[in-house]
Amino acid sequence: MNLASNANAALYASMIVYTLAMLAFTWHLAARAPQVADSKVAERAEVREDVLVGAGAPGTPERRSPYAAAPGFEESRESRQRGNIALMLTYLGTALLVASVLMRGLAVSRPPWGNMFEFATAGAAAVGVAYSVLAKRNNWQWLGVFVVGPILLVQGLALTVLYTEAGELMPALKSYWLAIHVSVAFIAVAFFTIAFAIGIVYLVRLHREEKPPAKPNFMESLPSSAALERTAYTLNMVAFILWTFTLIAGAIWAKQAWGAYWQWDPKEVWTFVIWTVYAAYMHSRATAGVDHRKSMLIALVGFVCVIINFTLVNLVSTFVGMHNYSGVG
Amino acid sequence: MTTETPPRPRKRTQPDPSLPKLSAMGWVRWAWRQLTSMRTALFLLLLLSVAAVPGSIFPQRNIDAGRVADYIAQNPTTSPWLDRLGFFAVYSSPWFSAIYLLLFVSLVGCIVPRTKVHVAALRATPPRAPARLSRLDEHAEVVTDLSQDEALAVAREVLRGKRFRLHSHDSTSLSGESGYLRETGNLVFHLALTGIIVGMAVGHVFGWRGDIILAEGDKFASSAGTYNTISPGPWVDTETLPPFVLGLDRLDVQFNEAPGRGFGMPKEFTAYTTLQREPGAPATKESVSVNHPITVDGADIFLLGNGYTPVITVRDAKGEILYREATPFLPQDGNYRSVGVIKVPSASPKQLGLTGFFLPTAEPTFIHGPASLFPDAKNPEVALSIWEGNLFPGDAPQSVYTLNTDEMKQVTKADGSPALIRLKPGQTYEIPGGRGTVTFDSVKRFAGLSVRTDPGAPISLVSAILATAGLILGLTIKRRRVFVRVRPAGPGAAGVDSPSGDDGRPATVVSIGGLSKDSDAGLAAIVAAVHDRLAERNDRS
Repeated sequence: MNLASNANAALYASMIVYTLAMLAFTWHLAARAPQVADSKVAERAEVREDVLVGAGAPGTPERRSPYAAAPGFEESRESRQRGNIALMLTYLGTALLVASVLMRGLAVSRPPWGNMFEFATAGAAAVGVAYSVLAKRNNWQWLGVFVVGPILLVQGLALTVLYTEAGELMPALKSYWLAIHVSVAFIAVAFFTIAFAIGIVYLVRLHREEKPPAKPNFMESLPSSAALERTAYTLNMVAFILWTFTLIAGAIWAKQAWGAYWQWDPKEVWTFVIWTVYAAYMHSRATAGVDHRKSMLIALVGFVCVIINFTLVNLVSTFVGMHNYSGVG
Repeated sequence: MTTETPPRPRKRTQPDPSLPKLSAMGWVRWAWRQLTSMRTALFLLLLLSVAAVPGSIFPQRNIDAGRVADYIAQNPTTSPWLDRLGFFAVYSSPWFSAIYLLLFVSLVGCIVPRTKVHVAALRATPPRAPARLSRLDEHAEVVTDLSQDEALAVAREVLRGKRFRLHSHDSTSLSGESGYLRETGNLVFHLALTGIIVGMAVGHVFGWRGDIILAEGDKFASSAGTYNTISPGPWVDTETLPPFVLGLDRLDVQFNEAPGRGFGMPKEFTAYTTLQREPGAPATKESVSVNHPITVDGADIFLLGNGYTPVITVRDAKGEILYREATPFLPQDGNYRSVGVIKVPSASPKQLGLTGFFLPTAEPTFIHGPASLFPDAKNPEVALSIWEGNLFPGDAPQSVYTLNTDEMKQVTKADGSPALIRLKPGQTYEIPGGRGTVTFDSVKRFAGLSVRTDPGAPISLVSAILATAGLILGLTIKRRRVFVRVRPAGPGAAGVDSPSGDDGRPATVVSIGGLSKDSDAGLAAIVAAVHDRLAERNDRS
């Protein structure tokens, strides 16, 4: 067995573990759900508490983490245990995935993101790492399904549609800028992805807050829509900064490789489009009077552009440009 | 992105009769305020992103004029309209330019007043503490047996440690403000964006690029006339181009020969050159490869393409050489099926033109037309058709890579079928009708070199770095105000157990309030830090 096939074995193993993690996360959400049925009372109690605090009760100010679960929601021991099992599995799956990326890198002696398959696996690993690092601290067990699911999807597509044998790079990619520009790009995409997942959850949560459903489910156990919105904003902000850097690093590299830093090649166009859409999101978020729901919709459109940039622009010949490194076809 | 205006009431059933009539100046002002409003900027940003998309869908002249021509030929009904609307040159079209120019006018119109406000704010002292701090977003209250002055001193110490600018408007309150760098960052970011545009403009006006196809063994002296194509900016004096002399000694090309998906993929391109920085200067050996340009007098020389130049000789019936040149054939696909043209104006009685393909690894049967199986020259072959007539109808300028057959006729064999030349290196073909011979002597590689100068690039680069720095500051730093008020704990202080009494020291009630413009998870921690420090001091004493 050589390194490249070990890398693939680790990739399959991580998919198995992630699948288990996803089941465990679902199982965890199931344990959260019935709790809520009794917590309607708790929600009302929370309102009362707010009133009390508002009246200027002495004592320490409220220091609840803005990312914590919904106020008034007491997580059961069962739910907590299941959440922790799922997290452990996620850590293991992520470790295997990172190992797979590293082995692939060693096998080809270069940064392991030189074609679409490698970019997809490295990107999935970045999402896994980002989630693993942030999940425990922020009690994001509820988010697991929405993060591990997409990771699995990307891994599956990488292995079936995008798979490329370990091999040498095209001359244009042989540059240290590959390590810088592309890695920052997929780390940015990792943050965009988690922010997107939270954004979707936010919209559903907000809808259910405005029109409370007859039968509450796990959604009602999540942090308030305002807290979700803030979290998504923070993640999008980090991703936006990284994306700005990606854009600039790409321009510097383009100058070296193609002689001009900006030529409106389709990949450049879409990187720019993504940047402007997210810039619009940051703007609308900072504009008083634009409601956060509308801003979030802009961010979601931005993520659709991220997906288009990675799929259509790489694979469809309409978008033929100079970034022809997919390795597919 | 300008001022953060409160939402205006949406519906108004009747126009307010007391509204004053706007003068012409008033309308200008109104328009300016609309343009520089944050909502307009937001709209323009979204519009810009939408407007950029067609440029990635339709072929663009600045990237590949050939594909534009193909597209127009394939879509005769829609393409004239698309062309008129600028869809084949989106990024220089009036509508695209209008959007980004408006966006930048809006940006500047908003940055300038905001800079003034910010400069004033940088000099100003934090505002007076509001009377009731319990109304602020974050607030806390603590009773301490420190004196009022001592309590304020403790708060001052904590806030100074957190880099607050502090001011006491009176002896019982303290105002603190921090996060001025947020607005500084914002302004730097937006100013730097204009810097990027300025850099692009400078590059457009003062930059130039020249492209040349150089066969192995050939040499060229850089000047406006020697490039195959040269595109100077409007303010470039083409007499002052750097006068270097560049010879291509050898072009090393490697392709992946291992079977599999990567078969035929390029692995390495390197051009080994001899460079004289000016005529007569000592020659140095330099290599140019992808990602590694060489620099001469502020111009960069890039290796952007490569291909084959078959050396072809055309002789007349008497054996006199009419044409002998290494003629570049331009690659059309990944396996370097290349097309090219040979023009022999000196042929008689009529001018001759040969047009067709060079195939580095020819597929021998031509069952699907001329095709190459591999990009390296493993089994080179040329396949050409022969034309006779007037090469240059109307003496109009034409490309060296296309044959204008408007006034030409294809040469046929005795049986009337078109004559087709298929030659391997060293072979000779006799043109029917005693018109002479065509010999395929050998193959050399060519390097597609591009020489470019962009004096605006450093401006754009510095601006881009500043923009990133500004963006990070503007997004991560929070503008915060924290106020502290002290008052003696009297018997009337509701809900507060007075700790005074036992030791007879006076007790002080300290209220702390925090305010932030942005959703700010860290504000509570700061208010808590002041509170905790005071409570701690209380325990110790």
